[in-house]
Amino acid sequence: MATTFTAPKLSSPTFQTLCRNLPVFTPLPNPLSSSSRHRHHYRLHLQQQRRNLSVVRAESENGSELLRHYDFDLFTIGAGSGGVRASRFAANFGASVAVCELPFSTISSETTGGVGGTCVLRGCVPKKLMVYASKYSHEFDESNGFGWKYDTEPKHDWSTLMANKNAELHRLTGIYKNILGNAGVTLIEGRGKVVDPHTVDVDGKLYTARHILISVGGRPFIPDIPGSEYAIDSDAALDLPSKPEKVAIVGGGYIALEFAGIFKGLQSEVHLFIRQKKVLRGFDEEIRDFVGEQMSLRGIKFHIEESPLAIVKSADGSLSLKTNKGTIEGFSHIMFATGRRPNTKNLGLESVGVKMNKNGAIEVDEYSRTTVPSIWAVGDVTDRINLTPVALMEGGALAKTLFQNEPTKPDYRAVPSAVFSQPPIGQVGLTEEQAIKEYGDIDVYTANFRPLKATLSGLPDRVLMKLIVCAKTDKVLGLHMCGDDSAEITQGFAVAIKAGLTKADFDATVGIHPTSAEEFVTMRTPTRKIRQGPEAEGKTGNEAKAAAGV
Amino acid sequence: MARKMLVDEEMTQTNQEEAHFDFDLFVIGAGSGGVRAARFSANFGAKVGICELPFHPISSEVIGGVGGTCVIRGCVPKKILVYGAAFGGELEDAQNYGWELNEKLDFNWKKLLHKKTDEIIRLNGIYKRLLSNAGVKLFEGEGKIVGPNEVEVTQLDGTKLSYSAKHILIATGSRAQRPAIPGQELGITSDEALSLEDLPKRAVIFGGGYIAVEFASIWRGLGAEVDLFFRRELPLRGFDDEMRAVVARNLEARGINLHPQTNLTELIKTDNGIKVITDHGEELLADVVLFATGRLPNSKRLNLEAVGVELDKTGAVKVDEYSRTNIPSIWAVGDVTNRMNLTPVALMEGTCFAKTVFGGESCKPDYSHIPCAVFSIPPLSVVGLSEEQAIEQANSDVLVFTSNFNPMKNTISGRQEKTVMKLVVDAETDKVLGASMCGPDAPEIMQGIAVALKCGATKAQFDSTVGIHPSAAEEFVTMRSVSRRITVSGKPKENL
Repeated sequence: MATTFTAPKLSSPTFQTLCRNLPVFTPLPNPLSSSSRHRHHYRLHLQQQRRNLSVVRAESENGSELLRHYDFDLFTIGAGSGGVRASRFAANFGASVAVCELPFSTISSETTGGVGGTCVLRGCVPKKLMVYASKYSHEFDESNGFGWKYDTEPKHDWSTLMANKNAELHRLTGIYKNILGNAGVTLIEGRGKVVDPHTVDVDGKLYTARHILISVGGRPFIPDIPGSEYAIDSDAALDLPSKPEKVAIVGGGYIALEFAGIFKGLQSEVHLFIRQKKVLRGFDEEIRDFVGEQMSLRGIKFHIEESPLAIVKSADGSLSLKTNKGTIEGFSHIMFATGRRPNTKNLGLESVGVKMNKNGAIEVDEYSRTTVPSIWAVGDVTDRINLTPVALMEGGALAKTLFQNEPTKPDYRAVPSAVFSQPPIGQVGLTEEQAIKEYGDIDVYTANFRPLKATLSGLPDRVLMKLIVCAKTDKVLGLHMCGDDSAEITQGFAVAIKAGLTKADFDATVGIHPTSAEEFVTMRTPTRKIRQGPEAEGKTGNEAKAAAGV
Repeated sequence: MARKMLVDEEMTQTNQEEAHFDFDLFVIGAGSGGVRAARFSANFGAKVGICELPFHPISSEVIGGVGGTCVIRGCVPKKILVYGAAFGGELEDAQNYGWELNEKLDFNWKKLLHKKTDEIIRLNGIYKRLLSNAGVKLFEGEGKIVGPNEVEVTQLDGTKLSYSAKHILIATGSRAQRPAIPGQELGITSDEALSLEDLPKRAVIFGGGYIAVEFASIWRGLGAEVDLFFRRELPLRGFDDEMRAVVARNLEARGINLHPQTNLTELIKTDNGIKVITDHGEELLADVVLFATGRLPNSKRLNLEAVGVELDKTGAVKVDEYSRTNIPSIWAVGDVTNRMNLTPVALMEGTCFAKTVFGGESCKPDYSHIPCAVFSIPPLSVVGLSEEQAIEQANSDVLVFTSNFNPMKNTISGRQEKTVMKLVVDAETDKVLGASMCGPDAPEIMQGIAVALKCGATKAQFDSTVGIHPSAAEEFVTMRSVSRRITVSGKPKENL
């Protein structure tokens, strides 16, 4: 969880490595103290020679490299999840590391950012805090069914939430700075630009480095339509000065869904405009249908297959959204959640020959190396899987590759993820559609039930759970859930799926009663068996959840 | 279905025997274990009868109800009340998130109670339907064993029915017991606590087990003044000591008065309530005194002596690994056997019984790595070994990984309550031996972890799993540094 931090380890493995490799050096100087930096560099360079032979082979093409002195072993541009992780770990492994980051602001731009990056300042953390805040209105409704009564309807004070949220973000950015400082990483505030394969320019000052890491992340993208200047993106949506009375959200991805839930819960009127028939392209089809239904039941107005053409501002200041199907008026805010783009502009990448794809994402190999051997990239700027824990994995792997003599590839198999919509979604592994394509014969187990809480609250909340199993090997290929606690529930199952466990292993596990999660270990009969052949059996069983447990 | 699996010879035999008995199986007690065994046996093709006492929320010698403890007097109503009570804390937490609520919130206990009863009546009906859909014949009345293959059901009107059965399954569960102290009749058990007419303002709970802790959380969450008395230093004996301390701390922080190492010695009726006297000489007044001092198997009125079914000294029916008693035609599952008294375990035992006896597949219940949860507020959930058990059983060093953090929700709500998570790992094999967590959603989180542990997952496999961010559960896959290493000799080495 983002609010907790493992205390940085002070590189005892590195000390051991150094001791083993260089027995002549006694006593060991503190690699983090500046007085010893010179000697420290020397040692590292010796160590580097060994690595160059095994790991960073490309470097040894240039023999003079070994003698060249750099200001830093690693210079990281961008102190978000991936950059901070790579920098800290590299420093813990004994490298001298600097990281540069733009000044703090809740809204990102060419000149503002902040230590912590998207996750902490403009993504996961503030989003989740807003989800917590907005979920209460559903809880108030639920609590009525449990005997709680409110004489006057609970009212929400927007400014209290914003103030408390921003105080938390400031606290977190401070913690991240401390983490870097404690790891001995030099933090430089300013905009970093690559000048040559070993030089970074930060606001006019030049720094040399053996390795440069680009971890500048991504930023929301708003399509260029007439009136797009009136639209807000997710950065702004997380820090609005007042409650949006009536908001249009354009987009069907996870950000759009999460904000629809947030604003609805905080008592706004919410309209969601999606280009396709369903939300969440790429997710399991059944989950896509289910979450759409559940969100509609909670009062979000869906406008399907409706694309924005223009935004018009009226004299009274309200906004109208013109779409391919007509014009809807009276919005206080129009939010675009229409994708994010890598922050690769004006970084000097083209001039040094770092190759990017057509979206501007930096192309990297399996070790996160760019087309320039001394330049590496992790996180959203590479547009692989844009999730904080993946950036952390990439950053951690890179530090090991570069500074611990242990070439490490990030492993993208069975990466779990969550959508903090209301209700939330958790998933790991393949969707039913992907599994059919890849394996052909699969068994699908589903449970679609009214949870115990809803039977009392009287609300129309339901839960959908789904296991995709390989018919031939019995391996669980995918797990999907939409309903309360999905994100928390999915994590443990992700360990099981990553470990390659079978349906029989799930069945052998005893349930925890009464929970929702126990459904995943009590699914006895396949809902459908999908076979390559023409005849596929189909059966649906929607028995009450309590009954299914017997 | 099972019959098809038998060879012809056996088939003939079965048919012959069938002719001699009214039922292939007669089950006494329609709780979790009994219903499961009955249904599955019927699905395997057996002719099954089952008897159960008439329905009532409060059990006695002569009342019970289809669904049993779990549905009528345990897991389900308890969880409903926990949901209701948890809103108390939620409403406090909401304020720093910007929600303005009335100073005085109104909570209507009668409404909750009424809805709870409606729900268990609904479930009671569903269970009856499940039985009839499976073709199981249900009798309402008290079942007794007359012979190794004969049961007698005394119906409500006093008439007696007698049936022969090839197999008899005892699944009569257990009931709460009271300590033998003066005035014990003034106290209540968990049965009554789930159906109180009025919400107590002052509640005294005696006991340190999960039932005691759960009711303390329920009543406190609904606004009562709660005093919890228990004999040990910490509640929840048998659980990981570190986690027990966490639970105790959380209960206290939520406003429950803990009285460790204290026994109740007497209850006296007064005009102002029940006067409770402790062995420390303390006296306090309560509206309700709950005894959560253990449960005893319901084996007394089954007439087991008549056929010589062996009981242990607590009255639990003794069974072998296949749930068979010393009388070959009589079997027992669930709490009445006092093995591991959990609904899902009774379900497992019931399933294994049906497979063994009617499914043509010998099946022993597997008691390793059974996860469980305590629905205190916040809840505790565990699977596998506690740190103490791991050290005791260890052949090599034990590594303990802990994470003690402020959940993200609390950063704004301001609630001072840490979530604690723990993994206990075998240093040599890297296998995760035990996992525990105390904090919001712990039971939901632990289920998936339980699958991994059941299959012998290693710490490396946990570490290779990517986290779900931001969640509490992701801590389980991001525990990088060892908190302590305990050598085989049992000496902890801190801060490795």
